[in-house]
Amino acid sequence: MKKNFKLYIGLALLGLATSCAPTLDELETSKGTADFSKFIAVGNSLTSGYADNGLYLEGQKVAFPNLMAEQFKLVGGGEFTSPFFSTEQENGSGYIRLKSLVDGNPVMEPVTDKLAIRGKSPSGGPLYTKYTEPIQNLGVPGMRLDMSMAPGIGTVAGNPYFERLLPEGTSPALKYVEYASSHEHTFFSFWLGNNDVLGYAMNGAAESEDPTKKLTDVPTFEFAYNTFITALTAKGSKGVVATIPDVTSIPFMNTVTTARLNAAVEAASGGAAKNVFIATKTGPRAATAEDLIVLTFPTALLGVPNDLKIPYGMHPMNPIEDKYVLDKAEVAAVTARVKAYNDKIKAIATSKDLAIADVHAFLNKVKAGYNYNGVHISAAFITGNAFSLDGVHLTPMGNAIVANLFIDAINSKYDSKISKLDISQYRGVKYPN
Amino acid sequence: MKQLLLSLLLASPSLLLAQGSQVNTQSQKAVGMAGAGSALFVDETSIVYNPGALVKMENNGVQIGGSAIMYRSAFQEAGSPDVHHTKFQISPPFGAYATFGPKGAWWKAGIGVYTPFGGSVDWGTEWPGRFSLTHLSMRAIYIQPTLSFKLTEQFSVGGGFVYNIGLVDLGRALPVFYPDGKTGQATLKGTGTGMGYNLGVHYTLDETFALSVNYRSKVITKLKGGDGTFDVPGSLAANFPNGKFDAELPLPASFNVGLTFPLSEKVDAAIDGSIINYSIYKELVFDYENNTPVLQDTRSEKKYENAFSGKAGINYEVNDKLDLRVGAGYVYTPVQARYVYPETPDNNRVMAAGGVTYKFSPNWQMSAAYVFQKILKRTTTNAETQLRGAYETNIHAPGISVSYYW
Repeated sequence: MKKNFKLYIGLALLGLATSCAPTLDELETSKGTADFSKFIAVGNSLTSGYADNGLYLEGQKVAFPNLMAEQFKLVGGGEFTSPFFSTEQENGSGYIRLKSLVDGNPVMEPVTDKLAIRGKSPSGGPLYTKYTEPIQNLGVPGMRLDMSMAPGIGTVAGNPYFERLLPEGTSPALKYVEYASSHEHTFFSFWLGNNDVLGYAMNGAAESEDPTKKLTDVPTFEFAYNTFITALTAKGSKGVVATIPDVTSIPFMNTVTTARLNAAVEAASGGAAKNVFIATKTGPRAATAEDLIVLTFPTALLGVPNDLKIPYGMHPMNPIEDKYVLDKAEVAAVTARVKAYNDKIKAIATSKDLAIADVHAFLNKVKAGYNYNGVHISAAFITGNAFSLDGVHLTPMGNAIVANLFIDAINSKYDSKISKLDISQYRGVKYPN
Repeated sequence: MKQLLLSLLLASPSLLLAQGSQVNTQSQKAVGMAGAGSALFVDETSIVYNPGALVKMENNGVQIGGSAIMYRSAFQEAGSPDVHHTKFQISPPFGAYATFGPKGAWWKAGIGVYTPFGGSVDWGTEWPGRFSLTHLSMRAIYIQPTLSFKLTEQFSVGGGFVYNIGLVDLGRALPVFYPDGKTGQATLKGTGTGMGYNLGVHYTLDETFALSVNYRSKVITKLKGGDGTFDVPGSLAANFPNGKFDAELPLPASFNVGLTFPLSEKVDAAIDGSIINYSIYKELVFDYENNTPVLQDTRSEKKYENAFSGKAGINYEVNDKLDLRVGAGYVYTPVQARYVYPETPDNNRVMAAGGVTYKFSPNWQMSAAYVFQKILKRTTTNAETQLRGAYETNIHAPGISVSYYW
């Protein structure tokens, strides 16, 4: 009897050891009808991992295509290589960080050590340390769809982020579209076109000679998009494309509001002035809530008198300049242009049977704010967790969210079951101690 | 002119608190039958299960007992291949009981100190729900002086006054990030008190058939002056001042009916049913002493529903010294799917148990029991945090008690 009792206790302990923790079903991943063995990512700053107004190693590592590639590895994806800056030059182009909060107001400072600057371009801009090993993250900050069709962009006089990827002796005629599509691939992500409207909008839709601040017309956009997608799919490769976000959905356009400036003006003038004035293409007028002021507007300008002793921004005779304001009419024009681009993107992608990640629709949801795993995510500057300190590009958490959006699009198009990222493992904006 | 007029509005930490998991371990004899036996077992633990039965004890007795509850939960986020487990830890509920009264009198008094609610989960700081909860340990300790009266030989009544000491310690990551990427952390610790009562009637027919009816009141436990600690980057410290908080935790009432009847000379069966009035647990409010625009009082919805549990077991008297027993039960969860929080990833649960009592002498006896509870897998999206995924939990609870009678 006693012996049996011991045996029972032994059996019970054995059972305890084996069944103590529950096991949930492992997710069954599958690649569906796509082949992820050789993945390339084509795009601009968002694809490259640019953040906080710069390209630097920490951002490159969490670029959304790099996060996607990690998930692809579970369904037959291979290595994914990126033009990472070295640890010695990890701050790359330099970037901005939050230095302090003064009365709740952010104070930024530039990061200027450990840069990867190798020299100056003819126009005085920086040239970056070359990276000419084979790569698959082909994202080039500043790349525009119209420029992707143009020669000369990869030269020292062109885009330094493209130039750094090309070996010495590369033909100056090499176009980005040729460069990208010459990379062997079985699957691609393609997200270009943002800068064809963003540079223009961020400059307050002001007239500019700078080609990076021009608005691309719709026929040019459509032709270039078609050309690029045709080149990428020439060998039957599958892929995912993304829509262009509404430029009014990002913190860059929604943080310095008319209401905030009006309050500042009213406080500074002891109640004498109640409104800021803006220059528009149809003449100066008082700003309304529907006029968007850029994040980079130097607020110190407000109230500075001009030669006629009229304080800046506080009188129709000395309004806030056009380049700082996307006024109501310009907002409408830019929004309509983005919609026209997206209609073309969807039509071309559908005709080529590609997956579409609708970032445009998604960022409108972010603009309203939503909860994810107990984190509130919104388009609020700094506190919204998704956007980095430049108000345009993504935080690591924002990149993880976008990677999941792309994966959702791929899964639904190609009948695949690619696992998703736990976005709570990625940070938002860093606060100083 | 001022710099940009930006106000920082961070998501307030809405810290959540549940009952923990109610695991009935007050009597190892009842544990051995998965919680059944309120009518069958007439001993010092009747202070909890039915104060009305206490007077039917022939002797006086003291008992101490405890269990080792191993609460093992797993979570898998929707779409993710990673399964996250709570850390292995043992939560030790205990019970101590003593009775007083002249032998064979029409009254008996007793006192019990026991832990009817409690739980402990530690998900760690790296899991997808860390912004909901990193760890929680909570315990309600009831102190219950009790009186029991015999109205007739068959029919007795009893009641006790309950004084509760509640302890809570919970933590949550905050979505603010240090320069090294680490998250902030909030920790709330507090002690509260509350009062209630426990009433019962017990009826015996022919010394074999017995009926137990028992009502345990709700105990509203008020935490006053708990300590809220916020570890955040220095630039945000003014937004998250450490300080005191108040909260109120309602522990629900339950109504229990138990039956016992003989199956043969040596085998008795017992059936118990309970309705737990969890619907009083509608929301949880944290009232912080130092509010800032960031740190506001929080109110989170719980929307618990009333729950029902049914338990049945049989007791086999092998000989004068040894009793063996087994039991099984089913518990309906009070938690609605959209209000499942990681502190109690609840669902309906099944229970299976076995137990033994050995009488070393007329004075000394020992009981041991083992209950396994499986909280069924539940796939849910939380209404507040939007945390989406599947939970599953196993609870192992071996326990032991020793009694002395005179």
